[in-house]
Amino acid sequence: MFDDNLFDKAFNLFSRVEKQDFEYVYRGYFTHNITKKILVLADSNIQKSVERTTIQKRIYYIMVEGLQNITRHQDDLDNNGADKYPGIFAIQKRKERYYVTTGNLVLNDKIPALKKKITKINSLEKDELKKFHKEVLRAGVISNKGGAGLGLIEMSRKSGNKLVASFELVNEEYSYFYLQTQIPTTNKEKLDSDVQDLKLRKSLISIKKLHLSLIIENIILYFNGFFNQENLLSLLAIIKGRMHMSITTIRLSNVMVEMIQNIIKHGAQRSEEINGAPGVFFLRQKENSDFTLTSGNYVENEDASELKDTLTFINSKTDSQISEYYDKILLDIELGDSKKSGLGLSDLRIKSGKKLEYSFHEVEKGIHFYILQTTVINLKK
Amino acid sequence: MEPLIIKETEDTPEIIFDPIDDIFKISKISVPEDAYEFYEPIIGWLKSYANKPNDETIVEFDLEYVNTASSKQLIQVILALEEVARNGNVVAKWYYEEIDEDMQALGERYAKLVDVKFEFIEI
Repeated sequence: MFDDNLFDKAFNLFSRVEKQDFEYVYRGYFTHNITKKILVLADSNIQKSVERTTIQKRIYYIMVEGLQNITRHQDDLDNNGADKYPGIFAIQKRKERYYVTTGNLVLNDKIPALKKKITKINSLEKDELKKFHKEVLRAGVISNKGGAGLGLIEMSRKSGNKLVASFELVNEEYSYFYLQTQIPTTNKEKLDSDVQDLKLRKSLISIKKLHLSLIIENIILYFNGFFNQENLLSLLAIIKGRMHMSITTIRLSNVMVEMIQNIIKHGAQRSEEINGAPGVFFLRQKENSDFTLTSGNYVENEDASELKDTLTFINSKTDSQISEYYDKILLDIELGDSKKSGLGLSDLRIKSGKKLEYSFHEVEKGIHFYILQTTVINLKK
Repeated sequence: MEPLIIKETEDTPEIIFDPIDDIFKISKISVPEDAYEFYEPIIGWLKSYANKPNDETIVEFDLEYVNTASSKQLIQVILALEEVARNGNVVAKWYYEEIDEDMQALGERYAKLVDVKFEFIEI
């Protein structure tokens, strides 16, 4: 029923993130609207895990700067570049630190100037950086893209850390420009600057690897962390903002709601503190073909066997049989919207027009990792 | 009977059930986590209204998104309209976007399952 390889991929993605942490990546074209929604989604997840509002504000500020960087550079590119090599925005929480990473295409001949700016910023101490900021402001040397490195200076100042940048050659004309900022949430012992530097580099390498696997798997949206209604609504808004209104978009949204609410309602190992159930969700689309949605979450033994039965049952039915079954559960008050009823799964089966793909693997005693995959046919091919 | 007015939220619809001004409408989006909790008072209101309804009750369903949990509750709303229809005329007007086959299909499903007059309006 499922390709094991895919299970490994989904589970590997999920396992990247430890409990209490999260990782959220958007890959694609950035519009003003999408940017806004990304900020809402990221911010609501930060709010849950950071108590200190100053830090929260700083992270927010850094995200805004980073996102603006992407949109500014994106406008530079001809459509071909932006379509073929879309930008990436990532926010991650790892233990006591937040990482905000952007990756976008830049013209190769702009790289030396960018490198120079970053080296300069990184060479300055806190007070010097403040002074430099004033100088740049006063000089009013505004590049045609609105930034004389002011954004970069601000990102470095707000984070209290060095910027980490890296360039990855794409072709003769363009390279990916990765920029990462790290924001610690505690003022624990100040690390030796060399150690700090090494940590930052390692973390950037890890996200570059993630970016590569997202490209290989054609993943355009990826969320790994705690799922709750708030996150669902933001993800939904991002999908809406990304595409034109069409039956495909509507269906995609509907299917996404069911899949994520499945995690929210039935996912095991939930956290009261963060409010939600841990899981992973990603959306894939190869060029303009069909969409594939994959969700992964923990379920307990008992639920796993019930789910398996329901899935086998639903997949064994023809389209018209499943439609009749749907009518039956709609009218059956006793069944409510319990997981037993399979109303949500039947709906997924009807909307995707295909059998549901799934997989269960026992990850520890009594706990299974459950992966569900559906397809939404792109009718505007 | 006192009108029932519920403002829309990010994941629940706007409800206007106003027998005085003769407006009955459920609109926008319905994807709550707990659909039962949201729809219970609405169904309750309709059941009391069914005792002494207006001569004619036209209920407009103008929904953009409906999750399955809500679809399960909406059928209860429509079943309550069946009760209203015992003491007055009832028409359910089901709006759907031209491209939204799924919303159209949901309305048709209800129309088939419940004994209430349905009108379909493509927008």
